[in-house]
Amino acid sequence: MPFPRSNKSCCGMMLALLALAGCAAPGAGAPPQSAEAYDPYENTNREIFAFNQSVDRRVLVPVAEAYRSNVPQPVRDGVHNFLQNLDEPLIFAHDVLQAEPALAANTAGRFVVNSTLGIGGFIDVATGMGIPYHPNDLGVTLARWGFPEGAYLVIPVLGPSNMRDAIGKAGDSFGDPGNIVAGNYHVIYASVARGATQGIDERARNIETLADIERTSLDYYATIRSLYRQRRAAEIRHEESNLPNPTPIQGSDSPAPMSYTFPK
Amino acid sequence: MRRLLSFGALVLIALVGATAPRPAVAQDATAFVRTLGTEAIQVLGPSVSPAQRLVRFRQIFQNDFDVAGIGQFVLGRYWRTATPPQQQEFLQLFQEYVVQAYASRLGQYGGEPFRVTGARPTGDETVVSSEVSRPGGSPIQIDWYLINRGGQFKITDVYVGGVSMKVTQRDEFASVIQHDGGHIDGLLTRLRQKTAAAQ
Repeated sequence: MPFPRSNKSCCGMMLALLALAGCAAPGAGAPPQSAEAYDPYENTNREIFAFNQSVDRRVLVPVAEAYRSNVPQPVRDGVHNFLQNLDEPLIFAHDVLQAEPALAANTAGRFVVNSTLGIGGFIDVATGMGIPYHPNDLGVTLARWGFPEGAYLVIPVLGPSNMRDAIGKAGDSFGDPGNIVAGNYHVIYASVARGATQGIDERARNIETLADIERTSLDYYATIRSLYRQRRAAEIRHEESNLPNPTPIQGSDSPAPMSYTFPK
Repeated sequence: MRRLLSFGALVLIALVGATAPRPAVAQDATAFVRTLGTEAIQVLGPSVSPAQRLVRFRQIFQNDFDVAGIGQFVLGRYWRTATPPQQQEFLQLFQEYVVQAYASRLGQYGGEPFRVTGARPTGDETVVSSEVSRPGGSPIQIDWYLINRGGQFKITDVYVGGVSMKVTQRDEFASVIQHDGGHIDGLLTRLRQKTAAAQ
């Protein structure tokens, strides 16, 4: 996954990306998503998808299963939390780049609390305190700045993506503070190990879900493409963040914030 | 200026009053989802055999979901080009396909706590939000879209983590139909095979 080179090239890359993004009128908000997937390379994508499925069956799933059966759940949760905590500085940067102060404050709070009380990030104390995790990345930032989604892509081993997210992923691997530190100390294998562990962790959490979707689908490729596009659209809207809902919530769990009874 | 403000406030109140459902509707909607959730959890329990689960799921889907509306939506523009017998067969097959697929997909559900978190109006529908906790992970948000059909709620869509089940199904079927040159016969054949295999 992330293969950082030297610090210089990474800064150059980020600057180039920022310059590119700058042309696309920042603040325009997310462009409207077209209903149907733009998939001009569908034939190639389907071939790579089939290749990925065989890698998945032969390598990823066996490794993920071994990980799940040999490593006890509390340790796996700790690893998951630790990796998630390593991502927070980059998430913070994107919260700021997207002018989302509430999200940025959440991320900063999570990083501080989890790195200290959570013993270096192994325990997610912040979620228990009511500061839930939210993902964020350069793909989302580019979308927020008005960058179009571009063609749908299936990337070897990494899986579903699109032009915008592929650029984002590359940029993020160069811009990630953890990877930059690893690069400075000439321990690039640390970044590679991190990426690999992240992949295994992610796969181990979804073994049954994905197997079920594959088995029950008529067109697994089209289903995954739809799930990916919708999931990314929700992430761009920051719907997953579980922040206080701006619209009035009524329900018997929480008292209605407004009274709707009007004299007739 | 004062007058203008108070006029604005009145307009606002009138608008809110007109668009927001009465609390009773929201209450009913949350109660409906809570009951449905409890029912579904019972059906998904480890003591229920897969065959029984299918029967119960079929009942829930037929009674509580807007099957015809969802079916029309997922066929998209191909609904209009289909002949009435094709439409009828599609609705039958689609219903069975969804029941089987979700009975299987939800079979992994381990009985984690299900909590209704709120309700809000959207257009002529009500969205009831709920959360399912996961061990060692952040909770998954599930939004239920309900329409009031003659005093009875019907589910029109379910969003899981921001992903619409209805849209996912439409996208998949559209892909199948497009690969068959825009004809829905191939889709019907595949649905027939898929649903027959599990029965």
